[in-house]
Amino acid sequence: MMSFAAMLGWLPVLQDHGADGQSALAADAAAQAGTSPVFWIILIGYFIGVLGFGSYFARYNRTTQDFFFGGRRFSWWLITMSIVATGVGSHSFIKYSGKGFGHGFSSTMAYMNDWFFMPLFMFGWLPIIYFMQVRSIPEYFERRFNRGVRILATIALLIYMIGYIGIGFLTMTKTLLPVLEPQGWSQAQIIWVVAAVAGVYITFGGQTAVIFTDLLQGFILLIAGMVLFLLGLDFLGGFDVFWNALPAEFKLPLADYNKPADFNFVGIFWQDAIAGSIGFLFMNQGLIMRFMACRSVNEGRKAAAFNVLFLLPLSALAVSGAGWIAKAISVTNPEIISPDSAPDSVFTLMASVVASPAGFGFFVAAVTAALMSTVDTLINAVAAVVINDIYRPLVPHEKDRHYLNVAMVVSAVATLLGVGGAFLMDRIGDLYDAHGFFHATATPPLVTAIFLGIFWRRFTTAGAVSVFFIGTGLMLLAVKLPHELIGPFSHGIPTPEGEMPFKYVRALYNMVVCFGVGIGVSLFTQPKESKTLEGLTMWTVESARRFFKGGEPNDRPGERMELAWKVNDALPPGTISVDEEAAKTLAADPGDLVYLSDRRWWLGGLRSAHAKVHGATGPKGVVEIATDVEQAGHFLRQYGLRVEKEF
Amino acid sequence: MEFTRVWLPYLYLYGVGGVLFLIGLVMAVRSPGFQAKRRSDRRWFRLLIFGFVWYAAIHGLGILAALEGAA
Repeated sequence: MMSFAAMLGWLPVLQDHGADGQSALAADAAAQAGTSPVFWIILIGYFIGVLGFGSYFARYNRTTQDFFFGGRRFSWWLITMSIVATGVGSHSFIKYSGKGFGHGFSSTMAYMNDWFFMPLFMFGWLPIIYFMQVRSIPEYFERRFNRGVRILATIALLIYMIGYIGIGFLTMTKTLLPVLEPQGWSQAQIIWVVAAVAGVYITFGGQTAVIFTDLLQGFILLIAGMVLFLLGLDFLGGFDVFWNALPAEFKLPLADYNKPADFNFVGIFWQDAIAGSIGFLFMNQGLIMRFMACRSVNEGRKAAAFNVLFLLPLSALAVSGAGWIAKAISVTNPEIISPDSAPDSVFTLMASVVASPAGFGFFVAAVTAALMSTVDTLINAVAAVVINDIYRPLVPHEKDRHYLNVAMVVSAVATLLGVGGAFLMDRIGDLYDAHGFFHATATPPLVTAIFLGIFWRRFTTAGAVSVFFIGTGLMLLAVKLPHELIGPFSHGIPTPEGEMPFKYVRALYNMVVCFGVGIGVSLFTQPKESKTLEGLTMWTVESARRFFKGGEPNDRPGERMELAWKVNDALPPGTISVDEEAAKTLAADPGDLVYLSDRRWWLGGLRSAHAKVHGATGPKGVVEIATDVEQAGHFLRQYGLRVEKEF
Repeated sequence: MEFTRVWLPYLYLYGVGGVLFLIGLVMAVRSPGFQAKRRSDRRWFRLLIFGFVWYAAIHGLGILAALEGAA
């Protein structure tokens, strides 16, 4: 019977070597793949395919609103798949395969602890950013506090995002290093080439292109991770061999409570499940822009729920599986993959062992192209923050095309700064540790200010400013005095000699000091008037719905309709008109918001637009739309429209 | 394997995490954005509860599967 690998035509490179007992067999296989023309054809072909796919959808960008937010038009399933690619960015495969190799199934912890804050996200933050049309985190800070806090948040956010871009570039470089280094490439050369490809793509793409490229890559990454896992099982001789090769403790889904220092449950709980989850859901500008691209708040909730409930567990398997297989191989065949292999090289080594040059080319291409999913989202987000928070206030009243051109320049600069970040991050060491330390240190002030701003009306501007200054000061003090300040929060985590202590659990100390300072100062200072907070806190979110509609929301339940359409030049911009019977079925009154989309559901909202009902005087069975609504929706004459009332 | 190695992380995750989840759920239900008369809001409430149970079950069953191999 043919093996799974043979059926796929991806027989292992290793078969050409024979098992000659050399401990560097996997490294040899990776180096050998780099000399194969097939490997390069697959790698370059994949990149060109992804670039072409994204560029095709870039033509749907007509305004900065489209470039940054995709025009608030997409269905939940399209957004949730595109979020997967960002969540399973290239650093995930390398990082989690490394931890999976060293610590087993508990490498999935970070992917399976994001549900705790979902109630506050669904009914607090998501309706606020959507209905109040908050285009960036700093914009929220200005509206909630004042301009000074906005500037502080902008600085903190840009540092956070550029640091992340640096991690992305560095990880991709480490993916390619085992293949390219034997060909004479240096790490620095790989970083520059990678950055050039990512920079060119995002500069000409924008959010619509990012969403569609990530949709494609989300599918490919999940499938690539699963196929690699199955190829590994096949290489080992089946699931039973794999399962029995692993030690029992290796199979536990949660790490040991407080040891070892470089991977323990309690540290990762505070760094990832708490600081990381709040950071992911509440201050990830790239993710916010995805949710802003949804056609409604409910679609955003569906995307978030489906992603966290089903796709994150699958993603955890996809990104960690290579590490688990490598561990089993290191037990059954230590001459192929050494038990002492460097964690950051495990993914590439394992892929080179179980796949042919063509298969290996596909896996490396999928993971390296996924760098663009993580990095292009961040570069796009940096451009959004710089344009909307810095440039537009300084240079107002320019044409939209002007801001788009500046956004492209900003994207290029962000790419260059990301390269600088990659060289800096390389000095910290292991990718998982560098990422964990960066997250535990960079996120708490922003997370605290956003969280208290949304959920506590009494939180004052002075409180927010003190979080950024005093909170950050106390965090920096803990870098100097870790045992004295973080020690009491450490849950007994050991501190090995010569290593940075409390890499993860410092997130708990950082959160405590930031929340403590914010709450303490707010209790002794004057809060803003309630009127100025309308729509900006969880407790005034109904005002946000009124703001979004520009009037009282109409909550009468209506039905969705399919109607023929035609343009009526006499209608005011941004409006539509339906007949009286259709208005009753839709339960729509003049002034109500409606969503119009091509009747083909599988387009996911690519051809769609929002409009207001002008009146119920249209011809029977036809929706009349203003000229600008037709242009915004990219509607095609031969297809009818689905019409539904929003709210 | 010792009880503390196997179950202490689980109890901590769903104890501390559960308290935070419950506080968030109560805040969400008490906020004006949640209206019990809206059918979709009642569905979201049920889904939020389901999500918590779903993950507690996945982790619990994962631990039991690992223990079965160790026995």
